[in-house]
Amino acid sequence: MIVITLAIASGTMLLMAIILSYILGWANEKFKVEVDPRIEAVLEILPGANCGGCGYLGCSDYAVAIVTDNDPVNKCTVGGEACAKQLAEIMGVEATKTNPLYAVVHCGAHSDDRLMPTEYRGEKRCSAAHQVAGVQGCTFGCLGFGDCVRACNYDAIHIVDSLATVDYEKCIGCGACAKVCPRNIITIVGFQEDMIPTVACSNKDKPKEAKAVCQVSCIGCKICSKSSDIFNVNDNLSECDYERYTADNYEEVVEAMEKCARKSICFIGKGIGQKADSRPSVLMQK
Amino acid sequence: MGLFRLKGFPGTGNFRHGIHPPDNKSLSAESKVEVMQTPETVVLPLLQHIGAQCKPVVKPRQIVRYGEVVGVGRAFISASLHSPVAGKVKKIGMVTLPNSMHLPAISIKTEGDQINPQRLWDEMTAMDWPRDCISIYAPETIAKIIHNSGIVGLGGAAFPTHVKVAPNDSRMIDTLLINGCECEPYLSCDDRLMREAPKAIVTGALLAGRAVAAKEIVICVENNKPEAILKLQQATEKTLIKIAVLKTKYPQGSEKQLVKSVLGLEIPLGGLPSDAGVAISNVATIASVARGVIKEGPLTHRVISVSGRGIKHPKNLFVPIGISMGEVIEYCGGITEDAARIISGGPMMGFAFSDMTTPVTKGTSGITVLTHDEISDEQETSCVRCGRCVDACPMNLVPTRLALAARYNNPSIAIRYHINACFECGCCTYVCPAKIKLVQLIRTGKKLVAAMAKS
Repeated sequence: MIVITLAIASGTMLLMAIILSYILGWANEKFKVEVDPRIEAVLEILPGANCGGCGYLGCSDYAVAIVTDNDPVNKCTVGGEACAKQLAEIMGVEATKTNPLYAVVHCGAHSDDRLMPTEYRGEKRCSAAHQVAGVQGCTFGCLGFGDCVRACNYDAIHIVDSLATVDYEKCIGCGACAKVCPRNIITIVGFQEDMIPTVACSNKDKPKEAKAVCQVSCIGCKICSKSSDIFNVNDNLSECDYERYTADNYEEVVEAMEKCARKSICFIGKGIGQKADSRPSVLMQK
Repeated sequence: MGLFRLKGFPGTGNFRHGIHPPDNKSLSAESKVEVMQTPETVVLPLLQHIGAQCKPVVKPRQIVRYGEVVGVGRAFISASLHSPVAGKVKKIGMVTLPNSMHLPAISIKTEGDQINPQRLWDEMTAMDWPRDCISIYAPETIAKIIHNSGIVGLGGAAFPTHVKVAPNDSRMIDTLLINGCECEPYLSCDDRLMREAPKAIVTGALLAGRAVAAKEIVICVENNKPEAILKLQQATEKTLIKIAVLKTKYPQGSEKQLVKSVLGLEIPLGGLPSDAGVAISNVATIASVARGVIKEGPLTHRVISVSGRGIKHPKNLFVPIGISMGEVIEYCGGITEDAARIISGGPMMGFAFSDMTTPVTKGTSGITVLTHDEISDEQETSCVRCGRCVDACPMNLVPTRLALAARYNNPSIAIRYHINACFECGCCTYVCPAKIKLVQLIRTGKKLVAAMAKS
């Protein structure tokens, strides 16, 4: 009796399995969606970090954009040049030279450089400290509570002597730190060279006020723009035109750095980071 | 306190939750208002109120008279700025206010003949404020004069007063509440003003009441100011103004709590007092309305309290707007050795600052200097879900939820728990046994929510 029951049960299941698998097989053929095999291949090459640095929601979105919309293949900052080359091969295009993207902190004030600090007892976060006056005199500079450090998924930004400092060996330029900075002093810059100059200051106040709050603040004196035309002064603040800097400009930038009375221009990049000793004197010995 | 009853009003004179911090008003409440002489320079930030920033209408090296308009607020929600001194405009520089606003400010160096501030104060405290001539002013005229005088709420928030009194057909005002609660600990400037210039307040109340066409005018005072109540009772004789004596409790002076405790009405979530047919104004604002309309004087001076155990001689002062905090503190004998924190405003809602050149603005109700003993050094610990902040919150919110949502960047939870209903009174932070900076986190959370709404 039991044997017969078991046989009926398994027989029914077997029959159902056969019928359903035929239906599935038919549906697979009938409702097939044509997927470009290149998408799969591109996705394979992309690093899968899903950082959003390319401007898409994740790697798969970018892969689709490359294949279907012919998006440039050099947008992935994590994969870098090698990745772009491989992607170019698949797409049959030529990979243009990519400028790797890195975060640049536009503040150079370490704890000793800052003037008029207050004893701050509030919540130790930049977003909270930004809403009260007098954590330090400067209302533009780095607060040093490390909202950017918490936002970084690559351990590439740290607070060194109360200044956010980028580790250019690790930074991939995804821009997570720039998004959370309440004072908007971090920007993502395409590096033309391994080391580029920057004006490590964001203070747009008039010279007297900028001097009163910080020892290394830019006062917009325009002396740097006289030495090198990659510096432009707007709103009492010198800005570096990163796109125009090449190794040929090195000499004139060093001249500008030496002339800068406020020592607010410094070189940043792989090998030197953004430290106090990336200021002219040490760099010249190199 | 259990026997407290408010008679003659629909409310109970009390509201739910809230706290009872030591009020420490005795430090300065008994010292008469002293008049400070005109300082050498005044710094006038171009945004001293809620709303749009003023446009400067003076140039460097221009000579200005007392009371001349130096900044014009063109938007509706904005207030003009008048020079509190006669002198020469030095420059338009930048200034950082204690609430972290970094904005342009006009600095004026005093020169030539000055108005005597003692005269302004004597005018204010005089007992001959007229009452019968009020009916000659049309409501629109009163609103216009208030706009031109640059009057804003002097209680702290500095909301332009003309917006409150402007005729508005869609929102009828039945009751004008005049807020003399001054629930913030340490501060006593409104208390002194009510004691010394009750007639000005009554005249201003009648004027403001006429402007909003209020059927009822009520002056609300907490029961820890018996002398002020007595003076006001004498001054309001033969008028229709009533006086509501309320229970001493923080934050009794907040508009939503005040409406609840006097009139028994709830203001809907996200609504304004005008939704309940109520207009609310501070006593100091009302006194400057009287001055603006009757004496045609703009808002250039205000009463501030300088108090706290960290100050040598706590005082109440009548100062020009734009004087530096340092000069005011110096006038009061400076700070003591164990002073630890200098706060613009009261200890509950004020902002700590350290830059002594920070100017006194229209919204500065006082300077509180706390000592090391008075401030907490304890380290923050984890939230233990004890619910004390929930019991203290006068808005019936869940502060710990809001704060932690802000800390962990979760604006959707913050919105769900109505973060924007919080008016940052500080009750939750005061009672929190874990020393979590709840209000600061909630403020951060509001920024987060605003940023999310924008994107």
